[in-house]
Amino acid sequence: MATEPFDVIIVGSGAAGGTAAYVLTSLGARVCLLEAGRYYEPGRETPMFQRHGAAPLADAGTPDKPFGFYDATVDGGWVLPEEPYTTAPGTEFRWFRARMLGGRTNHWGRVALRYANHDFKAYSLDGLGADWPFTYEEFAPWYDRAERMVGVFGTNEHLPDIPDSPPGCLQPPPVPRSYERLVIAGGRRLGRPVVASHEAVITQPLNGRLACFYASPCLRGCAIRANFQSPTVMLAPASASGRLTTITHAQVYEVDLAPDGLVRGVHYVDRLTREHHYLAGRAVMLGASAMESVRILFNSRSARFPDGIGSASGLLGRGVLSTPGSNVWGRFPQMEGLPPFNDDGVVSLPHIFIPWWLLPEQRAGRLPFARGYHIELYGGRTEPSAYTFDQFNVVSPLTYGKRLKEEARRYYGSFVRFSQRGEMVMRDSNRVVIDPQMKDAWGIPGLCFDVRWSGQELRQTAHAQRSMVEFIEAAGGQVVSPPPSDPRQAITAPGRMIHEVGGARAGADPRKSVTDSYGRVWGVPNLYVIDGAVFPSSANKNPTLTIIAFAWRASEHLRKYLRKELPHA
Amino acid sequence: MPDRRETLTWLLRALALGAAPAAHIDSASARQACGGAPAQPDRLGAAWRGDRGYGRDPDLLHPQVTWALTLTAQQKTAIARLADVFLPEDGSSPAASAVGVPDFIDEWVSAPYPQQQQDRVVILEGLNALGCAAKEPLHTLDAVQAQNLVAGLHARAAEGKQPEARFFDRFRHICLIGYYTTPVGVAELGYVGYQPSPRFAGPPPEVLTRLGV
Ligand SMILES: Cc1cc2nc3c(=O)[nH]c(=O)nc-3n(C[C@H](O)[C@H](O)[C@H](O)COP(=O)(O)OP(=O)(O)OC[C@H]3O[C@@H](n4cnc5c(N)ncnc54)[C@H](O)[C@@H]3O)c2cc1C
Ligand code: SF4
Repeated sequence: MATEPFDVIIVGSGAAGGTAAYVLTSLGARVCLLEAGRYYEPGRETPMFQRHGAAPLADAGTPDKPFGFYDATVDGGWVLPEEPYTTAPGTEFRWFRARMLGGRTNHWGRVALRYANHDFKAYSLDGLGADWPFTYEEFAPWYDRAERMVGVFGTNEHLPDIPDSPPGCLQPPPVPRSYERLVIAGGRRLGRPVVASHEAVITQPLNGRLACFYASPCLRGCAIRANFQSPTVMLAPASASGRLTTITHAQVYEVDLAPDGLVRGVHYVDRLTREHHYLAGRAVMLGASAMESVRILFNSRSARFPDGIGSASGLLGRGVLSTPGSNVWGRFPQMEGLPPFNDDGVVSLPHIFIPWWLLPEQRAGRLPFARGYHIELYGGRTEPSAYTFDQFNVVSPLTYGKRLKEEARRYYGSFVRFSQRGEMVMRDSNRVVIDPQMKDAWGIPGLCFDVRWSGQELRQTAHAQRSMVEFIEAAGGQVVSPPPSDPRQAITAPGRMIHEVGGARAGADPRKSVTDSYGRVWGVPNLYVIDGAVFPSSANKNPTLTIIAFAWRASEHLRKYLRKELPHA
Repeated sequence: MPDRRETLTWLLRALALGAAPAAHIDSASARQACGGAPAQPDRLGAAWRGDRGYGRDPDLLHPQVTWALTLTAQQKTAIARLADVFLPEDGSSPAASAVGVPDFIDEWVSAPYPQQQQDRVVILEGLNALGCAAKEPLHTLDAVQAQNLVAGLHARAAEGKQPEARFFDRFRHICLIGYYTTPVGVAELGYVGYQPSPRFAGPPPEVLTRLGV
């Protein structure tokens, strides 16, 4: 365990903070990790084999535990009474948080996809949003490191939208489940790709971790460490290095800027005792999750940065990105009344997905929206739960008695949800600001969101809804409820897909970005933003693998910087 | 697998709460409902304040229902009669009341969360309406009477009459959840899982043949 003064203070222990803690301690730095939530140990706390029926309300989601009683999330949810936020009039934003060691990586859906070069350079290609300050080729080595450490299954399919990984990065995927085979056959009929998903789950032993044993739902976490959670994969080796100190219940609210222009520490409040503390360090990395890190920057005011550190360009808080998403449920008569068999696989995570297949058409200007989407699939013969009968109620609404029991047996497992995950076009008007009135339970000013979908996202969603219907029908199924004619009724609220990023974008030009390509706040060379806040654009690919790779690259950069520029301490 | 009733512990805090659900199906509120007054969300239906649920960090290895169960014995008997019509014994599996569905419904409608509070109103309001239609107290119905009552309920629900349609839908839904998440119900649907294994074999050949893939 390291003691003060620390080389690096890391704020937040999720995907970003966990990665930085691992990389920096392995490179010899003495690190203090400040985490707002409590200590959490998946090996001891995970309800691996508990059945839905043994939980209160049969494990149905509640405001206390939105994804069910057994879900891994601790002290989290859509509404945190101690940490409110507001939305601009006429807008909606759903913000899911977790306050625990490892943050949202304990629950996450574990879809782990690389961005392609056209994702990093989308502005250069179509003039919308902003480019990243590096190419795919420049960034790829950190994807390789991330995949090797995280453990990701998947295949190389040589697809335009999904880069191949070098040998040794991806593990073999599990074979498809029953309904997934129907969708693969449907894709073949349509001439569209349906391929192995990339999931942060190991199917072969890795770094002393056991392979998945295909039982027990991943979203509860994994006691045998076969899926990626920051505490089991990143923080365990960081702790073992002897160079990591972790302080939990530590809610950081301000970064302290010294007169020489460098940061020298952070202020935090202990959430249990409400006492305020100061911690000194030679460098600070913010990985509190995208919106929280932006909030900390805003709340770090000084004579040099009266509107918060990083506000010089006027872009702090701007360019908030979310993931347009929508669902269509299909029912598959072939799946009705099947004999009992085990179709669990990697429990609750998809084995396959439908990557964006219309990139050439889009580039040629033949689509009415600029950015793509992929489709994820959930359903089939999962353990009967509080949600098993949601679609059943639509297809068999008024039955009762023996007929009801027959139909329950017949329809069980025959529904599949097709789910769009799209790219939003970055716009400066979508932003967060500090709400002038609202403070959290510790008196720290909170955020106000002003994020709206544009015609881009709505036209994309209308297209996705049609495509999902086509897939369902090509796979021999029927749509449970036809898509609404207005995509506004289909698209989920901004934030709902829990991929919110942006607000402190990285760039090559200090006038047009908040950080440099390593996440260093322009003008403050020892303050790094390492989470999703730095995203200038968000591809249709779920952000976490890119967050991990970015944090890794930033950490290596910081290590060099500490050695070169600050050799005295 | 032990029954959930054995693994779940209820913290009976009825006294501490002074819980007195306003929308009982005692005769007084039944009369009220028969008079056409819409059932109001009771005291428990006030906005969820986060103080009586299991909280955001419950002990996942020792699940506890932290709220008081609020249905009376008579209400639960009435619910058992109706639930057994919705999910009867059928040669393949037992009736709803045999696997604890009435207890589950009590747990559900007594929970402090918004969805459950909404369901509470629907269920109690529906029971009131059925009580009026039955002329006899619901808990005294025999199986044939219960069958006839549900047939009448079904007819009105099919015509979209309220509150019957609402009640039919939610009562049935909660029964289905309660029934098919018990070990008996899980086996009845043919779910097989939670079987650790070094590899995932995928569906068996006979299933693949049926699927045509
Ligand atoms: C239901 C769900 C499904 C998801 N599925 C996927 C998926 O399939 N693929 C994917 O790529 N992503 C997915 N995500 C998103 C993924 O979880 C996040 O992208 C990822 O966890 C972000 O990492 P992070 O380190 O930035 O933030 P987090 O993981 O949120 O961690 C931030 C940590 O910082 C702490 N913190 C916050 N504020 C402070 C403060 N002021 N001081 C100190 N500590 C603080 C928090 O308590 C938390 O522990 C999903 C998320 C959810 C909830
Ligand atoms: S499915 Fe595999 S990775 Fe997921 S929790 Fe179970 S054993 Fe762990």
